[in-house]
Amino acid sequence: MSAPRRAPLSLRLRAMSRVGLRMMLHDKAKLLGTVLGVVFAVVLAIQQLSILFGLLDKNTMFVDHARADVWIAPPGTELFQPGDTLSDSVLLRARTTPGVALAEPLVAAGATVRRPEGGSEAVTLIGTALPARLGGPWSLVAGDVHALDAPDTVFFEDAERAKYGGMDLGTVREVNGRRVRAGGFTWGLLPFGPAYAFAEIGLARELARIPADKQNFVLVTVRPGERPEAVRDRIAARVPEARVLTQTDFSGAIVSALLREQLGVSFGTSTAFGLIIGFIIVALSMFSSVIDNLREFGTLKAIGCTNLDLTGLLLVQSVAYAVLGTFVGLGLVSGMTEGIRSPQLVPIVPMPLYVITPLVMVSICIAAAGLALFRIRKLEPGMVFR
Amino acid sequence: MSRDATSPPDALAVDARAITKVYGEGALAYRALRGVDFQVARGEFVMLAGPSGSGKTTLLSILGCVLGATSGELSLFGRRVSGLPESRLPALRIDLIGFIFQGHNLLASLEARENVALPLQMRGVPVARSLREADALLARVGLGDKTRSRPAELSGGQRQRVSIARALAGNPPLVLADEPTAALDAQSGQLVTELLREVCRERGDTVVVVTHDARIFHLADRIVHIEDGLIAGSAPPPDAPRAPTRESHA
Repeated sequence: MSAPRRAPLSLRLRAMSRVGLRMMLHDKAKLLGTVLGVVFAVVLAIQQLSILFGLLDKNTMFVDHARADVWIAPPGTELFQPGDTLSDSVLLRARTTPGVALAEPLVAAGATVRRPEGGSEAVTLIGTALPARLGGPWSLVAGDVHALDAPDTVFFEDAERAKYGGMDLGTVREVNGRRVRAGGFTWGLLPFGPAYAFAEIGLARELARIPADKQNFVLVTVRPGERPEAVRDRIAARVPEARVLTQTDFSGAIVSALLREQLGVSFGTSTAFGLIIGFIIVALSMFSSVIDNLREFGTLKAIGCTNLDLTGLLLVQSVAYAVLGTFVGLGLVSGMTEGIRSPQLVPIVPMPLYVITPLVMVSICIAAAGLALFRIRKLEPGMVFR
Repeated sequence: MSRDATSPPDALAVDARAITKVYGEGALAYRALRGVDFQVARGEFVMLAGPSGSGKTTLLSILGCVLGATSGELSLFGRRVSGLPESRLPALRIDLIGFIFQGHNLLASLEARENVALPLQMRGVPVARSLREADALLARVGLGDKTRSRPAELSGGQRQRVSIARALAGNPPLVLADEPTAALDAQSGQLVTELLREVCRERGDTVVVVTHDARIFHLADRIVHIEDGLIAGSAPPPDAPRAPTRESHA
């Protein structure tokens, strides 16, 4: 038997790629349907993930923006929210720990703003120590951060102004029964719970009725050249009754707690649902495309194409569907993300997701081609004579 | 491209001996071929004729290595095909055989020249050269002005001519045609068969045509009749009827 004149696999696959793409483009309705399936999957999955990341960010933003390298929290703390208090002894031991540059108290307490027309609105009152202002307000849209130094001054969330009865700079409202003045407004500082309202720590303690020797958290910055982890360990050794975390630890712990207890299942389910729908649409579309073109595939086999060649053809098609659909889907998601951006929610699509999504969709589409591939492998070239 | 350089020069193009084919099993078994001996010399233009269900398409499928025989021996150009693993058959088909199908089976998404170039590309011919060769083959079958047309833009006769060009692409020494005139009117069918004979004769190709179209029998070198899965006889062609003119629209 002489050596066959058949081309090497690489050349045959190139030929099959061209045929596969031409077949795709020829059936425009099927192409549109399949790409829309991928687009749907990408939009649903990434939109859910972007909302999830946005919500997680809302709950870690305080920890991420507080400018503290190490956090000291009451034992059992999982989220940044009002809770137990720490004594001044903890604060003092932290301040005398080697490597600590600054250790400042922070108050986080529930409070209510009384509306002029009656009723009240809840806020999470944050008390920050001057002049360091660790854990102080950021994302200001009105007022100056130094206005917090003025007596009886509170910064409120801009998006909640209407809820507080139509506030402006200088407006006076009752917080926990005491009159305070609006000295500034922040934008988008809305966690799961009530919006943050910022005050100097002394005022916050008075409003929240927290004793002067108590605080909810101690925020620590480390000296230049010190590793936060090393300082954390030193503080933890001195303050065994509290939970001591680096900023990264605390942020990660919040994400972990929210995913475990609240958000993970619901968002995970809807994301998976989107991907499954995409998988099914692509699988059915590719299978029906093979069924519609069975005679053409039989002809290709008869003229010498192997199962491997036709596998290459289907894989090129599935990758093309995935890339096309993902490209369009991510474009749509980017537009939608901007569209639904609000102080309550800023959907976030992290850059790695722009890389991971095409890879995931390519994998899904390749897996979805399995059904079509199974049919092609079973196809006898002899069918072309029937 | 050299043709079949390693096969013995005196070997038959097709040498099928005691070929049987049984479909199904047990009580449902159907014996489509019952021990067929069928030989074709190199360069011969043979027609396989017989009534529907006689086994002629089954025999053609076995000769084309797209269907395995239940028993028997098959050699093509001195190469023993029987017993080859299925994985070796695609390469063998590329190497030796060009197919013409009853329904032309062109890829709808490809232009005529791309359909013809595909078997060349499967043989490793670079794309640009394969398209040039495809254009030349299409010109040879009278479709030099239709190279960019898709199958849907061509008439039945034109599609079958593209199919002939595709079968000849890559210079396979054996061309197998299954009812190539079945979907054509009488005049187109005659012209397409004449073209097939003419081109293959120029190139020295061996051709086996399955047909029950008696109007083209006169174009064969030999007509082999098959009935009930057995070769019933072999005969020279009848006298040629008056040939239609080539100015037809086929």
